[in-house]
Parts: sequence; structure tokens; C-alpha cells
Amino acid sequence: MRKPTAPIPSPFQSSIAKQGQGKVVLSLLPPNNPTFTTLTYKYPLKLVPRNGNFIPTADPSDPSDTSPPRPVHLYLLTYGGGLLPGDHISVSITLEARTRMVVTTPQGSTKIFKTDPTNPDLTSPTVIKGHRDRMPTNLHQPDMSQQTLDVHIGPQAALCYLPDPSVPYRNSRYAQHQSFTIDASAKGPHRASLCVLDWVTQGRTSRGENWDFRFWRGRNEVWARDATGRSRLLLRDSVVLDDESERDLDSDDDSDSYEELDNAARNLHNGLVNRADRPSQTKAGLTPLNLIAERCAPHGVVGTLILSGPVFEALGAFLLQKFQSQPRIGSRNWSDQAPSSAPEPSVSCRGDVTWTAARVRAGFVLVKFGAKDFETAKDWLGGLIREEGSVVREFGEEALFCL
Amino acid sequence: MPSMLLNTDLEAEVTLLESRLQDARAQLAASEYPSPPSSYTVKEPYIKSKPQSPTIHTPLHALLLLSDSALPLGSFAYSSGLESYLAHNKPSRTSPITSFHRFLKLSIASIASTSLPYVLAGYRHPETLDTLDNDIDASTPCIVAQRASIAQGRALIGVWERAFRVSFAGPGSPVSSDAESAVAAIDDLSDALKSCLEEDDGLGPKGHFAPLWGVVCRAMGLDLQQTAYVFVMNHAKAVLSAAVRASVMGPYQAQNVLASQSLQDMITKRIAREWDTPVEEAGQIVPALDLWVGRHELLYSRIFNS
Repeated sequence: MRKPTAPIPSPFQSSIAKQGQGKVVLSLLPPNNPTFTTLTYKYPLKLVPRNGNFIPTADPSDPSDTSPPRPVHLYLLTYGGGLLPGDHISVSITLEARTRMVVTTPQGSTKIFKTDPTNPDLTSPTVIKGHRDRMPTNLHQPDMSQQTLDVHIGPQAALCYLPDPSVPYRNSRYAQHQSFTIDASAKGPHRASLCVLDWVTQGRTSRGENWDFRFWRGRNEVWARDATGRSRLLLRDSVVLDDESERDLDSDDDSDSYEELDNAARNLHNGLVNRADRPSQTKAGLTPLNLIAERCAPHGVVGTLILSGPVFEALGAFLLQKFQSQPRIGSRNWSDQAPSSAPEPSVSCRGDVTWTAARVRAGFVLVKFGAKDFETAKDWLGGLIREEGSVVREFGEEALFCL
Repeated sequence: MPSMLLNTDLEAEVTLLESRLQDARAQLAASEYPSPPSSYTVKEPYIKSKPQSPTIHTPLHALLLLSDSALPLGSFAYSSGLESYLAHNKPSRTSPITSFHRFLKLSIASIASTSLPYVLAGYRHPETLDTLDNDIDASTPCIVAQRASIAQGRALIGVWERAFRVSFAGPGSPVSSDAESAVAAIDDLSDALKSCLEEDDGLGPKGHFAPLWGVVCRAMGLDLQQTAYVFVMNHAKAVLSAAVRASVMGPYQAQNVLASQSLQDMITKRIAREWDTPVEEAGQIVPALDLWVGRHELLYSRIFNS
């Protein structure tokens, strides 16, 4: 007797069943024509392709007569321009061999709306229909906004992903997981290329927000998959900004023990034992910081840029060279002629960009930066990438839409 | 000679404090955590999984060896970003001590969030050591920190092979099944490190400190809580020692901080927080620290390697 099988799937049924999911496949049809062979998405996600007019100029020194394929532009949008609690955006992108894609976020920053415990949002799946109460928050935190990006990049293909930063509003929670898989067998000039920017700001500064969200996690991974299907982690960049309030609900001794240590330090130093000097300490212009703000201080935006592969090799080398030629910290001009008046500008990076660039393994160049605000970071990074020029040459000015 | 006198005084003080600390630890270990915090309940399987015969007492000897202030070997050469932090944060209103305490707090939180999950995973699953080694190498964004971690990890393999192995896993010494897999894992990694030619792209085995620490502690019979505690404690010791040599504070003050209840609480708290963190979710919780460590090589003058 035949076992009852699942109903035959309708050929018209969308392969995307769940909310917020999207799937994109970019293929290169002969002779040299990049085409979206798959492009589906479902509310609240929206994916808008745009075949730009930009045609990269063939490198005259390149011996191969094939000009690089046209980069294709994909806009990543969400309705309302942000993510509500419980929204889960999941996008899968496949770049087949030799294709090139630019992904940007034309709506500006990815706004992460707050998790309001008293007024549950009606679109949130945490609300059971007919119940006013929220479901208890479990470990999976269904009220968290999530975004998953899973990109497969074929040999000689290139992805340029320079989005706007995410702006987590007060009390919001957000987790983002971006994974990029490249072909381990492609070596040298056939490797896949990748340029990914991931940055987060302190929130809406106009509303006085200063790292006031509850949780933000950004995880970027690059995997190499070999012919047998086994994957190996090449790079993982993971930042967790957690106000650690979850645990404090049952034991709120967290800040106390830190306070005590600070106090112990102060007492040790000043010989003071009374705790009365605490308020004066805060009055002295030291605004008490929350946990996340303290860990990011003095920055208002922090971010990471990941570069890999032949297309971004020049940019990586340029950034490394720029980093290494920064003035030494604490150096002095010992010559007598030098005007001794101007002290070295403070490196405590007030109003400046603090950054570091390193060539880590597998040829990756990793740039980490912190800046006082979004504009500063944007001008700095956009300036560097434009100055070097290869991204604009290969992908067009549109690739720097967000910078 | 006054300095000699001072030195002997200090040594006496250090010995005293260390013995106190060790007493406290031994008590802690012996008491089998009578009132574990709620977050500790999950570790029960790890403690109780092997029915321990009452004759096996707490391996105090191994604990003392591993909590030696010389470990992690060569840590005196590294300040874990303290030197760069001091250069980037010239104290203006705050006292240098307050500024240092901020750093210590951030540094311990950061080492716990980035490395401790690998220590715990190394202890719990020694057979995955090569994967853990690869993954922590992929997850360390900064070459300065990477160099330090590899140097200390390889030094740990060295001291294990030349000094500890013969007593803890040598012929004639009983090896529990627990330790056996750990010993095998260290041997495998050590062989891989020796036989590895300079692989392309530098993707070969590295010998990072954190996962190795977990495996070596298991091979030497420590329990998981001790393994984690000594790991974070040794980090705190290294940072404080760097602070003394960077003239942030005097040696008495450093020992005072080391002995303080608040440091103990902080370490316990960070361990409890990361106890169940899978290595995939390990991450940097202090983004500014990556910047300071990475910019260490931009310092005009420096006394540490990191």
C-alpha cells in the first residue's frame, strides 16, 4: 500500500511561504547578460532590482578580452523603512559565477523600532489573538527584530554591500546574522569578491538617545565550501551590544558590583571611605553611562568593513597603507626649530574617527572603526573609498549610495 | 638595601595573598557549590555526568600549577590593550586609577565574551579542538590579539609536553577516561602544528590559547568551573601585572584589587553569563577594545607586545 504522500505542490505556488522572506538568484546569461533568474519576496520585505546604466570600463591592461559583467543593483527595502518587534527578514541571495551585484538600502538607516512591554504591537506574533497579554518572553525572544542574510557567491562573482547603518531605537532588540559562502576551490584571480559594511549607531541623537537600546547583535561570517559540501569558517565578526537587563530583572546587583569596584578604586585612591562622593562624581560632568554606552565610549557609531577577493584587493591594500601611515600616537617633534606651542591633537578621538585595519587570514582585510557620529563616519569612509576609486570604477557611483 | 627589603616584603605579601586565595578556592571547590546560582543549573550534567568515586579528591595540585602567576606563559609581554588604552584615554578629570578600573572591567567582560565560550567548549568537547582552533582564529579580528593568543597557546602546549604531561598522562600514571580524550586532542594538535608547512592563506592549525586552556585543564583533572575561573583570573592577573609595570598603580594596590571581593564577583558573574554561550555566539561586547588593541602598533613608544 502506498504511503500517503504530501500533496503535489502547485506549480504556481510561490516558493516563498513565510513573511519577510526573499530569494534572489543572479545568473549570467550568454553572452554577458546578468539576469535575475529568481526574485521573490514577501511582506514586509521588498526587493527592487534595477539594471543600472553603468558599464564598467574594461581594463586595457587586462589580457582577457571579456569586459567585466555589468553590475546589477538590488535595493533592500522594508515597509515603513524599519523593523518592528518580531519582524524577521530573511534574504537569500545567490550570485552565480562572474556576476556582480550592488546591494544598498535606499530608505536610509535601518530603523529598529522599540520593544514596548506595555503596549504590544498588534503585528507582533507575540500577541495571541484574543489575549491582551503578551506571551512570556522566552529565550528566543520572539519580540526581537531579526534580519538574516545568506549569500552564496560563485567564482569570480563580486558583491558590494555598503548599506546604511542600523539605528536601534530606545529599548529595541535586534539580531542580525549575515553569512557569505564562497567556493573553496576557486583560487587566485578566480576567487569570489566581497565587500561588506556593517555599522550601528547610538540611536536617534536628536531624541537624546545614546546607546539606549536593549540588545543589538551583528554577526558576519564568511564560509568556504568545498566540493564535498563541507564548510569551513574563514572569518567571523561578531559584535554583541547587550544592556544585560535580562538578568538584572531577577538580580539587580549588576551595576552595584561594578559601582563597588569603582568605589573601591576611588576610595583606594582618595583615601575616602564614605560613599557620599558618588553624586558629586556624577555632577562633575561625568554623565552616568549605561552599559552599552560605556563599552562603546567615546563613539557614537561603531562598524566593521570586510574586504576580500581580487576585485577589492586594491581597496584593501589602500586602506592598510592609510592605516599604517597614520601619525604615531604620542610621538613628539624633538627638533628645536619646531614650534613647541601646538600640543599633539588629542588622540582620545573626540570628534575624530578611531580605526584600525588589518590583513587577517585568507587574504581578508578587516577594518574596524568608531566615530563620534554617523556623519563623521560616513564622510570618512566614503572619502577613503572614493579616493581609492576602484569601487566606483567597477560598480559605479551607485554602490556608494549610502556613503 | 631598602629595595631588597621591599622585595622580600612584597614577596611575603604576595605569598600570603596567594595562599589566601588558594584557600578560598579550595574551599569553594570542596564545597561543590552548595547554592549554585540559577544559571548554573545546566552545568549539573557536566559535574554529575561522571559518577566520581569518593576517593578522587579535588585535584588541588593541578589547580595550583595552573593558577601559577607565570601562566599564561609569556603573558608579561602583553598588556591586553592596556598600554594603548592609556594612550588613547589620557585621564583628564578622572584619576588614573578610576580609568584603569574601567579598563579592567571592560577587559574582563571582553575576554569572557570572546574567549570563555571557547575555553568551555574545549573542556566539554576536546575532540573538536581543531575546529575550535580554526573558529577562534577566524573570530579574532585583530592581528595583535591573534599573535598574543597564538604565542601563549603554543607556550602552553610546550609546558604541557615538557613538564606536565609526564606526571599527568605519562606511563604509569592513571588516566581517567575524561582526561584521555583531552590528552589525545592536545597530541593531535601538537602533531598538526609540527607537521604543518606554511599552508596557503595561513589557514593551518594555529594553537590558540583559549580552547587549549580548556583541554589542558581537563587533561589535568580540573573541573569546569575551576577551569573557567582560573582562565579569567589569570587574565586579570596579567592585566594587573601590566598595570604595575606601566606605572598605573603600585604592587600592593594591584594585589588589593586582585584579592577584592568585587573582582571575585565580577569574574563569577561573567562566567555565569557565558556559561551556556555557544561558540557561534561568542562575540565582542566591547567594540572600543578592538580598536585600542588594533591601534597598539601605532603607538610611538611601547613596552608591551599588545
